[in-house]
Amino acid sequence: MPKQTKESKTAEMANGKEQSPPIFENIEENLNQIQSKLGNSPDLIIRYYESLDHANYAAAVYINGLIDMERVEDYITHALSFDSLQEKAESAATALERFSFAKGKALSIGKEKIVEDQNSLLEGLLSGDTMILFQGLTKAISVSTSGGEGRAVTEATTQVNIRGPKDSFTESLSTNLSLVRKRIKNPNLWIETLTIGAVTKTDVSIVHIHGLANEAMLQEFRKKLSEIHVDSILESGYIEQLIEENKYSPFPTIFNTERPDSVAGNLLEGRIALFVDGTPFVLITPATFFMFFHTVEDYYQRYDVSSLIRLLRFMCLIVSLFGPAIFVAALNFHQEMIPTPLLINLASQREGVPFPVVIEVLLLEVTFEIIREAGIRMPSPIGQTVSIIGGLVLGQAAVQAGIVSPAMVIVVSLTGISSFATPAFNMALSIRLLRFVITFVSAYMGLYGIAIVGLILIAHLCSLRSLGVPYMSPVAPFAAGDQKDIFLRAPLHFMKIRRRLLNPKSSVPGTTTQIRKDNPHEN
Amino acid sequence: MRTKLLGLLALYLGVSVLLTGCWNSRELNDLAIVSGIGMDKLDDEEGYRVTFQIINPSSSAPTTGAASNRPPVMVVTEKDTTVFGALRKASRRTTRQLFFAHTQLLIIGEPLARSGVDHIFDIFERSHELRLNTTVLIAKNSDASSVLKLLTALESLPSTGLVKKTQNTARVWGENRKIGVFEIINGITSEGDFTINGIQIIGNAEEGMKKSSLEQTEPLAGSYMSGLGVFKKGKLISWLNGPESRGTQWLLNKLEETNVNIDASDRKEDISVNIFYSKTAVKVDLREGKPVFHIHIREEGSINEADSFVDFSKEEELGKLKKELAEQTASEVKMALKAAQEKKADIFNFGNELKRTHPELWKTVNKEWDSVFAEGELDLQVDAYIRGTGMRLKPYIPAEKRE
Repeated sequence: MPKQTKESKTAEMANGKEQSPPIFENIEENLNQIQSKLGNSPDLIIRYYESLDHANYAAAVYINGLIDMERVEDYITHALSFDSLQEKAESAATALERFSFAKGKALSIGKEKIVEDQNSLLEGLLSGDTMILFQGLTKAISVSTSGGEGRAVTEATTQVNIRGPKDSFTESLSTNLSLVRKRIKNPNLWIETLTIGAVTKTDVSIVHIHGLANEAMLQEFRKKLSEIHVDSILESGYIEQLIEENKYSPFPTIFNTERPDSVAGNLLEGRIALFVDGTPFVLITPATFFMFFHTVEDYYQRYDVSSLIRLLRFMCLIVSLFGPAIFVAALNFHQEMIPTPLLINLASQREGVPFPVVIEVLLLEVTFEIIREAGIRMPSPIGQTVSIIGGLVLGQAAVQAGIVSPAMVIVVSLTGISSFATPAFNMALSIRLLRFVITFVSAYMGLYGIAIVGLILIAHLCSLRSLGVPYMSPVAPFAAGDQKDIFLRAPLHFMKIRRRLLNPKSSVPGTTTQIRKDNPHEN
Repeated sequence: MRTKLLGLLALYLGVSVLLTGCWNSRELNDLAIVSGIGMDKLDDEEGYRVTFQIINPSSSAPTTGAASNRPPVMVVTEKDTTVFGALRKASRRTTRQLFFAHTQLLIIGEPLARSGVDHIFDIFERSHELRLNTTVLIAKNSDASSVLKLLTALESLPSTGLVKKTQNTARVWGENRKIGVFEIINGITSEGDFTINGIQIIGNAEEGMKKSSLEQTEPLAGSYMSGLGVFKKGKLISWLNGPESRGTQWLLNKLEETNVNIDASDRKEDISVNIFYSKTAVKVDLREGKPVFHIHIREEGSINEADSFVDFSKEEELGKLKKELAEQTASEVKMALKAAQEKKADIFNFGNELKRTHPELWKTVNKEWDSVFAEGELDLQVDAYIRGTGMRLKPYIPAEKRE
């Protein structure tokens, strides 16, 4: 099985060592070894257990804070209370028998395995396992007791919706996986776990639906992940930046979400998700441009409402990208295309404004960005103050001071609001960045410049690829059958055919046949 | 790959600099927006007196600042042998560069109109700023600059006001239509002659320049649309007024909506019919060297007012009214044609029509079309329909109660 060899290879690579010393027979020696390797850290807890006849003793080792205390206690009372064995086996209890007894008890807790080398021992400890060492044995039981402090599943903060499930991912990988598992109750939901980061040894999970996700794509994705050689992965953003194909493009080619329903939906479209331990943001690839303008709620609302809201979002995209640029171009280059009454109005507003239109735009735009950034970073009580002051600065005061014209306030605030209408924050940021570029060009060359930059942008977007899938698909290359879910959202009963550009594998075993039957691309 | 990309980028930038069509960036507050141009003849020398009506933005639009007491426009006059020369010379009098893309109105003084206007439209076709849909008016009995100096009530910008006045009266009254530079150039270059709307000052023109003129319910001066000026060979030769000018609109198939008062059986001109649809078909033919104008007018109207107590529920009453309406229309059309024939000015495009439909016949008469046109006969057919009588059918005083 290619999958397993891959995994073990990666694990080896992460360890960075070919050979690891075996566990000593002497329990004290082992414990000393562990303590010295962890730098005598006070959070390393060692508890000794001795049988009544003093013949055997064992030790439970774990790191405080990484474990679920209740489970450890529970296990230890069951498995290591040698006294309960007294009646049954007075003297026959050899170390080996004790070992297998304790091992049997471990099953009631959950995952347990036997480790025989020191590196695995340490690794297990650090990932929250409890190690049981026996005097005289060169192996230890590793019981999965990881737990500790964690955040409860709460409502999503970055992708809020009105209708739809309110749960969102947390920092715990297993919780996150279970949230998706709960939604896709199908054996074809395959999860592969590997470790990335030489120092942090962060667990990441590749999740896909076997049979829907394209195998070549998956292979490519695994390859990209295996090529990551960094010390630390503290957030999925690290991986996102490391595996991006187009590193110099302003557009994000990997989608991220903290909503389990969004992940489930994308998995069902044949995409691949990457869960990273320690962050609620799950990466989804391949990502196409239009994904960033769709929300899960589009599918929960009626199609007509969703379609209109989607159109609105694309309109907002245009406004937030070109709004100030078109204003500058019209005012500085193409005064003849403004209706006369409006032109007179604008001219009267600009009477007394000392700056050129571009400077005016920049003043307000930069102010807006400052307020936005400050508002995010400030603690929320102060954040409100920031927004009030910002409102004053951006609003009437700047106009009355004669620094900017009232129309400019409208243009900039409309642009600002429009940029918030993009559901994906990273895409909104890219657009905001490009807006400045386009404004500059339009101040230099007018509408002509806007057209040039627009064309370059379109060409660039069409040249992008995300994991081999054209970024603008299915608009460019055009696939007529896939237009039902791009600018508009067709009623659900029209959307039975899977998107072809993601190349879902044609045959799928088992339970997903219900959807498959309607797919004409099958045959 | 990288070098190729850089090369492409350099190409884009190079091309973009070379191809810039409208490259010059001009700030809005460096422009003097010209809303109207007036042209007058100089009495003693060659050339024109050109008047520019410039919008004063700070007092013509609602601003958050203090309201200005200055008038909404300023007027600058300059003399030169060419219009462009005059507008460049005007820079000596204005603080900002004149900007013409929003010029909506061209007024020609009557003396200049009488001496010929053929050549003054060149700058409108040549300049990229001036627009060909600029409305043209002839200042009847006065010079153009006095008209441009008049302030208007309701509309803050006099030029816009005059354009709106033209459009408004054309739409509901029908004696005038909006005549633009493009249409006039067409008229000059094709066979036949053309007409231009007249605008006449009423009241005291001197007082009308002051803002105080507007500070009363009835301004001390104003202007009104007054008939159509008939141009022959580019020169104003006469004026068509009232029914004559409406007849002209009818013949040109330009009538949108109008009101015709027709006679009822007992009283004269006391039933008002609102014509809301009118279509004129024209065919021109030569019969023994004389042109025959086959005109077919189909008009539809509704009765909006009836001072006589006519019972519209009776079919024969309506029939009488239809006949009356057709006759009324026919008489106006005949008046228009007669007036034009007297001046030998084919303002109805009949010459073009003949040239288009019978090119070989046209060749025989094109030399002396003016006099041939004057002898043309009219074959007029008017189909009038009354489509509605308003919300009431019978008069509110029944016949038996009247004396």
